[in-house]
Amino acid sequence: MTTATRSIPSERPERTTIGSIWNSRLPRTLLSYLLLLIFSLITIFPFLWMVITTFKSRGAIFSLPPQLYPDLLFKEGMWDAYVTVLTKYNFLRYTANSFFVAGMASIGQLITASLAGFAFARMKFRGSALLFAILLSTTIIPVEAIIIPEFLLMAKLDWLDTYLPLIVPSFLVASFGTFMLREFFASIPDELVEAAVLDGASTFRIYASIFLPLSIPAMTTLFLIAFIHNWNDLLRPVLYISTSSLRTVTIGLTTFQNEYGAQWNLLLAGAVISILPLLIVYIFAQRYIVEGIATTGLK
Amino acid sequence: MKYGKITPYLFVLPMIVGLLVFRLGPVAAAVLASFTRWNIQTPPVFLGLSNYGEAISSEIFWLVFKNTVVFALIFVPGVMVVALLMALMVNQKLRGIAFFRGLYFMPYITAMVAVAMVWNWIFATRFGVLNFVLTSVFQISDPPAWLADRAWALPALAIVAIWKQVGFQMLIFLAGLQGIPYSLYEAAAIDGASRRNQFFKITLPLLSPITFFVFVITVIDAFKTFEVTYAMTGGGPNNASTTLAFYIYQNAFIFGRMGFASTLALFLLFFVGLTTLLSFKLKDRLVEYAL
Repeated sequence: MTTATRSIPSERPERTTIGSIWNSRLPRTLLSYLLLLIFSLITIFPFLWMVITTFKSRGAIFSLPPQLYPDLLFKEGMWDAYVTVLTKYNFLRYTANSFFVAGMASIGQLITASLAGFAFARMKFRGSALLFAILLSTTIIPVEAIIIPEFLLMAKLDWLDTYLPLIVPSFLVASFGTFMLREFFASIPDELVEAAVLDGASTFRIYASIFLPLSIPAMTTLFLIAFIHNWNDLLRPVLYISTSSLRTVTIGLTTFQNEYGAQWNLLLAGAVISILPLLIVYIFAQRYIVEGIATTGLK
Repeated sequence: MKYGKITPYLFVLPMIVGLLVFRLGPVAAAVLASFTRWNIQTPPVFLGLSNYGEAISSEIFWLVFKNTVVFALIFVPGVMVVALLMALMVNQKLRGIAFFRGLYFMPYITAMVAVAMVWNWIFATRFGVLNFVLTSVFQISDPPAWLADRAWALPALAIVAIWKQVGFQMLIFLAGLQGIPYSLYEAAAIDGASRRNQFFKITLPLLSPITFFVFVITVIDAFKTFEVTYAMTGGGPNNASTTLAFYIYQNAFIFGRMGFASTLALFLLFFVGLTTLLSFKLKDRLVEYAL
């Protein structure tokens, strides 16, 4: 066990060498893993149960006691629920819609946040401190508290039942991203900028050809976090989208639930489909997402 | 870097537009709308303070208020205690710890409607796996109907909300724990302090600025809870699980009462603002050290 822990690079000295109350590490390590596993089980069980149910026949879903092993697993008809949901109930379309909406909104947030972050980090202008304070303090305003005027505005603009209400507000309201990129831009050394200044580059060029390329990791993190939030958003799609072909996965899922209340294998297949794209992204980009939230969520 | 006087303003222009049109503007508009009777079809009629009067004198409003407080009383301590426990666990130097960290954060990135669906199925009265475990393993002969039970619907929502949210707060606690200088633990160990004492005398006090921050954002999360209610109970049974944010949605978009809903929205804003303000007033007394 000690060799196992030593192989992980660590700046901290081993705790046991200082003399803990435990004589041996082994029981402590086992206890730690046991606790970690219990919490993992609680975290993972709903996902597991979701997937298990999608591989059950209607009879098996409502059997008592509930079966942990799905009856259709590796048998004919195993993927029926997924095929039905994707083709007959349009989830392929909903998923594509979600990709479009979340993608556009998140790219928009990158544009707004990087422009504003650049100005806050690199330029001096009247009112910048005040503006930044307003930006930060308004992040506590819950969307639910201001959605009514927003809805009325969208109705006035004749934007109801289009994607604009799902994209434009998150395009332009980028407080978190502005804050994050301001920090990042401020950390870029002056020498990199001076050369471009001597070459006579315009401010916008400096932003676009020096700051943006240097901040690709930070921008990736921001994009992913924004994408997750936009993909999962429920309130705005519920309010703004009524045409069935325009539905995003979240609203597709809720309407599906209202129409086919007890068909758990189909409902949960829809749920798996709505989660899967984000999960795949998360597995590959976990480091970006987790670190981005851990460092910026703090301030 | 040289730039013209208006250049910085051009850079922040999109953000300012967003701030005015989608943040500050709506707050001002909600204040105005709260003095009116307004459904979308007919123009607003000025009512003065009567929406406020109606809210305060209505039984449902106080039920909703109570529900919101009860939800917060379960959700806030639940999230904070579990998040801190998880953060302490994943802060250990153990093989594979990054895997557990990633796993615990997973519910946070999934859509609430999707996970609410499986929780609905877990909580189902007759065929749900939870009641099966309660009756067969724990020998409880009469388990609650959960989402259909007036007493249990709200706690059930809170449990799902905690399960979904806790990974985020865990990460913030984790960042806080990693900011505590290790030399303090070394010194304490040399002085013979037990791990228990180290936790209460070093970890908790030094973590207090983070704990304070987590508290504020978690309370705000609790006040604005909407999705879990929408996806699982729709506020039922009989308003037993309706909380403030959901009640705003109901009034505005189901009952078509934009004016009254705006009044409710201002109550929500008021509670969120008050919590933040009070927290910062108390900060100096609650937070022992600044990291």
